[in-house]
Amino acid sequence: MTATTTAAAPDVDVATARPRPRPLRWLGGAVLAVVAAQIAWFLTHNDRLEWPVVAEYLFDANVLAGLATSIGLTVAAMVAGSALGVLLATGQLAAFAPVRWACTLYVGVFRGIPPLVQLLFWFNLAYLLPRLSIGIPFGPTFESWSTNDVVTPLTAALVGLTLHESAYMAEIVRAGILSVAAGQRDAAMAMGFTGGQAFVRVVLPQAMRVIIPPTGSQFISLLKGTSLVSVIAMTDLLHAVQSVYNQTYQIVPLLIVACFWYLVVVTALSFGQQRLERRFGRGQRSATGRWPA
Amino acid sequence: MTGNPNGPVLSIRNVRRSFGTHAALDGVSLDVEQGEVVAVIGPSGSGKSTLVRCVHQLEPIDSGAMYLDGELLGYEHHAGRLRPLPARRVADQRRRMGMVFQQFQLFGHWTVLRNITEAQVRVHGRSREQARERAMELLGKVGLAEKADAHPGQLSGGQQQRVAIARALATRPRIMLLDEPTSALDPELVDEVLTVIRDLAAAGMTMIIVTHEIAFAREVADRYVFMDRGRVVEQGPVAGVLGDGTSDRLRAFLSRYTQQLSDSGEARTSV
Ligand SMILES: Nc1ncnc2c1ncn2[C@@H]1O[C@H](COP(=O)(O)OP(=O)(O)O)[C@@H](O)[C@H]1O
Ligand SMILES: [Mg+2]
Repeated sequence: MTATTTAAAPDVDVATARPRPRPLRWLGGAVLAVVAAQIAWFLTHNDRLEWPVVAEYLFDANVLAGLATSIGLTVAAMVAGSALGVLLATGQLAAFAPVRWACTLYVGVFRGIPPLVQLLFWFNLAYLLPRLSIGIPFGPTFESWSTNDVVTPLTAALVGLTLHESAYMAEIVRAGILSVAAGQRDAAMAMGFTGGQAFVRVVLPQAMRVIIPPTGSQFISLLKGTSLVSVIAMTDLLHAVQSVYNQTYQIVPLLIVACFWYLVVVTALSFGQQRLERRFGRGQRSATGRWPA
Repeated sequence: MTGNPNGPVLSIRNVRRSFGTHAALDGVSLDVEQGEVVAVIGPSGSGKSTLVRCVHQLEPIDSGAMYLDGELLGYEHHAGRLRPLPARRVADQRRRMGMVFQQFQLFGHWTVLRNITEAQVRVHGRSREQARERAMELLGKVGLAEKADAHPGQLSGGQQQRVAIARALATRPRIMLLDEPTSALDPELVDEVLTVIRDLAAAGMTMIIVTHEIAFAREVADRYVFMDRGRVVEQGPVAGVLGDGTSDRLRAFLSRYTQQLSDSGEARTSV
């Protein structure tokens, strides 16, 4: 290697430089191209994919109804789970220790149990508690229902997914709150805001920058998680295609139909997430996330 | 509500505050009269920030008492005993004091204007219009009227601190508490903030200023309070700083301070 010195080259201008050869990048590019070609070949030349069948069922009424159920479940569990998650996160940071312990225990338990196990558990709640009632603890009851009437596949799915989701959201929101410096809360309180106002108006909006990206991922895993509800006979997207292929045995094309719709919704969610991130990232400089060469 | 109209605006009586076994405030007493500017000086860790944070009730005190215009801060008499005030009442007391932090603490998700109007609207119950008018008047005073729609992140440190001062003034506080308002600033930005504080002092605002700007303290303050290890070691009219009556500790502090500053080539704070 030769060092370029001032004396040797008086009129150097780096704008005239040419890129260095990067053989590893070329190799990587070639490998990617081959893999892409193989995948394209497989997708177009394998008859077992039965693309005409895929096309036939893509907009099938039952499939679309299942899709709507999956999306509805996702949105409902996400909204309820986020609201509960915010409460749990503030509870975990509360000054009153028993509240802190209770919230931490809740998060530990519901984050630790696989969602599939939870769904089955809630669906079979009637075995443990034959009747559900409202009343004074250890005192008189005002109203009471048979658990089997209350716990339908829908309520079991909603409860299971919401509780599972809230535990994850609690951790995400807690991290977001901690990312906002305590000085911001102090400044808000110093101006005469109450603790609640300081939290809602000052801390939470600034925590959103940290909260949104993982929440987007949660939304996506929750959507995929709704496929679990097919085990408790809830007619979600997966259950809808299963009902079809249980009769026609066209398993692969129908699973492709399900994949297609899951991917469509996830892609839409990702776009939404990007827009939200930009909105809450205002006033912040951001890196592109690309690694320097 | 208000006590003796001729009494001190702020009265701190034998206040103690400990973190674990360490006494950050070890029996501090201090009265601040109407229109008086008190400069609090002292080495790092001597309890200056803890003192202003306790006055603002951002930090609880372990013992002693504090009064704002004769009204006990943070507690009320109930059934012959003291008990803490509900959060709302504490918030009411807080907004009668203005606080300026070393790190500005502007709210980054709001514009400059909203930083100044929000507490007026939410806490004082002023209309948006009134709040805006007051905010623009204050921004004019600190020379930043044209930055009303900027976000704090777009301002220099000196500009942010001036906005923070305007924000603290928005609710017409009885007293301003400034905790090292220029310590986080680049040297060339210090003067613009000091100018704003100087104007406030000239307008008769009652203030406690924690500062390392000794020359500035001598210029605007009526009285200095020297703290060390959680105690007020000595206090007196600023004219007396480094005069005959000063303790060895203060003398050592001041000489170390001016030494440091002249070492780093700062002429500003020569005493
Ligand atoms: N939140 C806290 N927890 C524990 N110790 C603290 C806390 N705040 C202040 N202290 C301690 O109290 C003492 C006084 O601190 P501070 O009031 O910040 O001093 P100063 O502002 O004069 O530099 C220091 O010893 C500091 O370490
Ligand atoms: Mg300090």
